[in-house]
Amino acid sequence: MEFTDREIWTVGHGLVLGTLFLLAFGGGLAGLYSLNARYLTEDGIAERTPRLLIGSVVMAVVAWLTVISGTFVVYPWYRAAPPEGIDRAVQSDALGDFPRYWLLASERTAEWHKLGMEWKEHVAWIAPLLATAVAFAVIYYGAQLVRRGEIRRAAIIFFTLAFVAAGVAGLFGAFITKAAPVA
Amino acid sequence: MLDMETKPNGPVAAVFVAAGIGSLVLGIFVVLNEVSPDVISKFLRFDESYGIGKGVGPLSGKVVLSVAAFLVSWVVLHLVTRGKEVNFGRWFGAALILVFAGFALTFPPIFEFIVNLFPAAE
Repeated sequence: MEFTDREIWTVGHGLVLGTLFLLAFGGGLAGLYSLNARYLTEDGIAERTPRLLIGSVVMAVVAWLTVISGTFVVYPWYRAAPPEGIDRAVQSDALGDFPRYWLLASERTAEWHKLGMEWKEHVAWIAPLLATAVAFAVIYYGAQLVRRGEIRRAAIIFFTLAFVAAGVAGLFGAFITKAAPVA
Repeated sequence: MLDMETKPNGPVAAVFVAAGIGSLVLGIFVVLNEVSPDVISKFLRFDESYGIGKGVGPLSGKVVLSVAAFLVSWVVLHLVTRGKEVNFGRWFGAALILVFAGFALTFPPIFEFIVNLFPAAE
């Protein structure tokens, strides 16, 4: 049993960071939703605030790491062009080392690139922007967030949109990897 | 703690709008890259021009410029709103519109529809 460099990077990008992102999202969302003065005592707020801080900051950091590793490490392997001599119109074993071109070689798989990859590679970058905004709001207000319902609700919406952006990217990433792995 | 004064909301409104600006800039460059493959797409190849991300192609320019737009607008808006209480609903509404526009412009059927409005891009 052994892993290639590409397998380690793709597992790290998709599975390890993806799992951390999901965990941080769950923790952060629960923390934001429950940080409500109607539900909590002062002790409860003091106990929950550090957890919310960790969840939101971890989600932002993981989102940045995921898009940076995906774009600058994994994506060039996906996008690499085959050398002269390999027919780009036939899904041969040789073309299989060049996933983008392998997918485009057949109408049956071309949409995985034209729709899936084209959306995934871009929409993923919205996630860290939104997650960073939420993390800043949590750091800035800390326990005071309990008194700022409108900002807490806005943070929940941004947090959820960040999750949707990352979810679209992650889902298409999983399907595309299954159809044409880079490893 | 429940009775405490809270900080002014300006800096938080600023970062929310800045995230929206970053999202929209990303979407705009996605469209421009398709509309102008000879000029703008070439310009966006920061991997070839500046050595940022070998083999990444135009995506390197799109993401660098969108992150730069986010950071610059965050700093500017932060300075503008620092110490101020703003109408947060209005600022957040603007941020949401920008984010949804960014989402929409990255969606292939939408950016392809826009590209098809420019025959020269074919």
